[in-house]
Amino acid sequence: MTIGHRVRPRRLALVLIACGFLVAVPAFPSGFQLMSQGARASGMGLAFTAVANDPSAIFFNPAGIGWEQHFDIDIGSSFITRTKGEFDGAAPYPGVGVNESVHKTTFTLPTLYLVAPLTQDLNFGLGIFAPYGLGVRWDNAENCNGNCANGVVSPNSFSGRFIAQNTYIQSLDINPVVSFKATPQLAFAVGADYRLSKVMLERNEAAVNPFTNSVVDIAHVKLNSDLTDNHGWGWNAGLLFKPDPHFSFGAAYRSRIKVDYDGTATFGQRSTGNAVLDTVVASELPQGTQKVATSITFPETVNLGTAFGFADGFLLSLEADWTRWSRFSELLITFPSNPAIPALDRKTNWDDSWAYRVGLEKKFSGAWAIRAGYYRDKTPQPIEDAGPLLADNDRDAFTLGFGYDSPRWGFNIGDIYIKVKSLNTANTANNDKFFGTYHEDVNVFAFDFRFSF
Amino acid sequence: MKKDDVLRALGFAGLVLLGGSSSLPAATTFHKFVAVGDSLPAGHEANCTVDRYQVRSATYLIAQALGITDFQQPLISEVAPSQPLTGYPCLGAVVSNGSISVGIVSQEGATENQNLPRPYDNLGFNGGPRVKDFVDLKISEPGRSDLDNYAARVLRNVAGTPFAGTSAVEQAASLHPDLILYWVGNNDVLGAASTGVALDGVTLTPVADFEAKYLEGLTILQSTGATIVTFTIPDVTSIPLYKTLPPVVLDPVTRQPVLVNGQPVPLMGSRAFPPACPVAPCPLPPDTLIHTIKAPLLEAQGIGIPAALGGKAVLGSGDLATALPDGSFTPPAGPLVPGVLLYADEVAAIQSRTNEINDRIRADSAANGIVLYDLNARFAEIAQKGYSIGGITLTTAFLQGGLFSADGTHPTQIGYAIMADDIIQRVNAATGSAIPRPDIPHALFTPNASPFLGAAPAAVPGFVPQAWMSLLPILGPIDPDPVKDPRGRATRVVGR
Repeated sequence: MTIGHRVRPRRLALVLIACGFLVAVPAFPSGFQLMSQGARASGMGLAFTAVANDPSAIFFNPAGIGWEQHFDIDIGSSFITRTKGEFDGAAPYPGVGVNESVHKTTFTLPTLYLVAPLTQDLNFGLGIFAPYGLGVRWDNAENCNGNCANGVVSPNSFSGRFIAQNTYIQSLDINPVVSFKATPQLAFAVGADYRLSKVMLERNEAAVNPFTNSVVDIAHVKLNSDLTDNHGWGWNAGLLFKPDPHFSFGAAYRSRIKVDYDGTATFGQRSTGNAVLDTVVASELPQGTQKVATSITFPETVNLGTAFGFADGFLLSLEADWTRWSRFSELLITFPSNPAIPALDRKTNWDDSWAYRVGLEKKFSGAWAIRAGYYRDKTPQPIEDAGPLLADNDRDAFTLGFGYDSPRWGFNIGDIYIKVKSLNTANTANNDKFFGTYHEDVNVFAFDFRFSF
Repeated sequence: MKKDDVLRALGFAGLVLLGGSSSLPAATTFHKFVAVGDSLPAGHEANCTVDRYQVRSATYLIAQALGITDFQQPLISEVAPSQPLTGYPCLGAVVSNGSISVGIVSQEGATENQNLPRPYDNLGFNGGPRVKDFVDLKISEPGRSDLDNYAARVLRNVAGTPFAGTSAVEQAASLHPDLILYWVGNNDVLGAASTGVALDGVTLTPVADFEAKYLEGLTILQSTGATIVTFTIPDVTSIPLYKTLPPVVLDPVTRQPVLVNGQPVPLMGSRAFPPACPVAPCPLPPDTLIHTIKAPLLEAQGIGIPAALGGKAVLGSGDLATALPDGSFTPPAGPLVPGVLLYADEVAAIQSRTNEINDRIRADSAANGIVLYDLNARFAEIAQKGYSIGGITLTTAFLQGGLFSADGTHPTQIGYAIMADDIIQRVNAATGSAIPRPDIPHALFTPNASPFLGAAPAAVPGFVPQAWMSLLPILGPIDPDPVKDPRGRATRVVGR
């Protein structure tokens, strides 16, 4: 007989799903919100609330599935690549001439949407997607000549390593919705939103070497939350009104979701090169794995849009999106099993933000379509909070796309090029006192396939 | 969502990009920079002034930021410690019995550029100069006092020499500067802390005397037309000299309070507290401040430790030699015997005088268009919150906090770099100049250890009587020239 942990089937299923969908990505929309949840919408500047005419409407405006007549399945993915991620230092810290870079990786952001008609006017939908995510991993985060357990960390390592070396926030939403077509022109929808999330933060700890009066690395800290135990519930709703074949108005709402995270903190000592100091550090460094806790309130969003149909198959879509980022006012990380470890309390004080979008689609005979779009996304992050953890700024995005849409199947390709306005924290009241200019550009390539039965 | 936000959203139809340009006035620039003051502008650190510290001083960092290439300081070489010492000793962290302590790591040597034919640009000097000394000390007599020894090196106004008869402010003005640090007043108050004796007219300069000399010096400097930066005086409780140790018996190994019946045991001091304790030694009240360096020297000999715990002090015995001393002054001319304690009333007296003088400095600065660096407020803020930069948190903790050096009073090179940054920001804000901020990472990450650390004679361990005793005579300068009232008597405002 063996004794061990038995993995419950429900939890195992969640883990398997999450492994495919949980992603950490560059913060390409403002804050750490991810709007690229459909290739067609991506080609139209994400101005899709008043369009919402494919299964990705479950994310953008679930009322849109009210007009679906078939069982639809839509599988897609976005490939998010940080094409530029650089930092030029300024005085007084880390200083002029210090150049850092963010690790460039392509992240995948898969989506899955199902639509099932229940009655002629009542449709059921299920979406699985990741509406929030963040991934910032700095190059040269810790240089110990390949032996960080025993080697001395080089001062030439990433200059922000005492703030953050590697950070990610991952999320996965399972979003069942029901849409009711009240009249041929009007549909409502409501859904439940179950969110799994995971956070991770790595950084080094510093101390003063009293023999040299200089700062040295004394430890590497990794805070990592569990996966399936960190979740929250919310809801979403939508309205789509099509009073005329050439005009529509849409509104969508997604509620806030608070996720409380439990996880672990591990402290790995770094040699300072001084045996006496190392002994002192060892005596004061938390040993083993410590419990860590935090919470994030993901903000509610409101999306308002209108779409106009013109002759020759042209469709113009305009949209304004509001996100209540003021919910994200603090990041408090505590160590409940060891009160001696000081809490990390970061006052973020984000502001509510708006994004303004415009999208254009031209349909051709033969079910082909081409698309273009633009949006400006205002950052919710005050410059005081910008730092190696996340440095966000206003951004302009230019989009292109095309697709094929037949009654039985279709596909869409979209691409978003996001030009992030350079962010200069020099001579500001920056909380991290980490001064310099951040440069970031991101490209998002998206595709999806739809099958109707 | 606010109503106007909704309206703004509904009214969205496009983006209008606004462009514009503005013409800015030319930034103020500085070409000649001098500093007048005490040990802080001098870059004094860890009980000595040597070139290793002088090139890391706030003054020198500002000169570098200004791009001044011929900024001259009275650079003093650092040499290996000797027995007996031939110069003022430099302290530093050393290893003693496997733990971190304080010891002598080097000492001051000779001035390297003694023959500079003009006054130095950095005229800051140690030796406990008070505000009057920057105006009145026109002839220095080496050997007369610490003050004269340092002034003779920096001002070089020894009788018979080219600079004889010139004061610090006069030498500064003669250089025709356009930016001046006027960093004075610390020793007019904080001498009471270093000696453990708070006496008006002795260790505390009367406010009227201070202001008269302060304005006299300021007037001479203002005659140059330069931008002048002045400084307030830090509070005694915002530096580690008296904020490291609690007034209770500590375990010599763990440095944690010894508990008897679950309670810490107060140290015994030389002041009586009738009726509860009519004859000293008496237990120290909890709000008593203990000298970080000198008190442990005495405790290691059993002084101040209750006899019941193996010490020498017996409650109410009258044997003051077994109690931690509060310091004393015999009027009218001394001697001033330093103590290692600051009782609550002494702290209050020092703080009161600090506040009074700072009020005058603030008022005089405002009235004269002077740039003020409120060091008192800055130190208080840092003492409370620490100082964080780039995820690195520095504190005022002794030895390991990073901001204060091994003498518990003067900053480290990190502390001086932060001061330089603060000063530059204030000058830029006040004058419209664009002086670049200093390179703080250099101060943070560049080791600043004595090259003679290994050559130190048998690393002087901390909290070991024999070695610590060797430090006693060199810590806590005793002003040989106490300020007297017009009747020639020293006036005591606090005491037993």
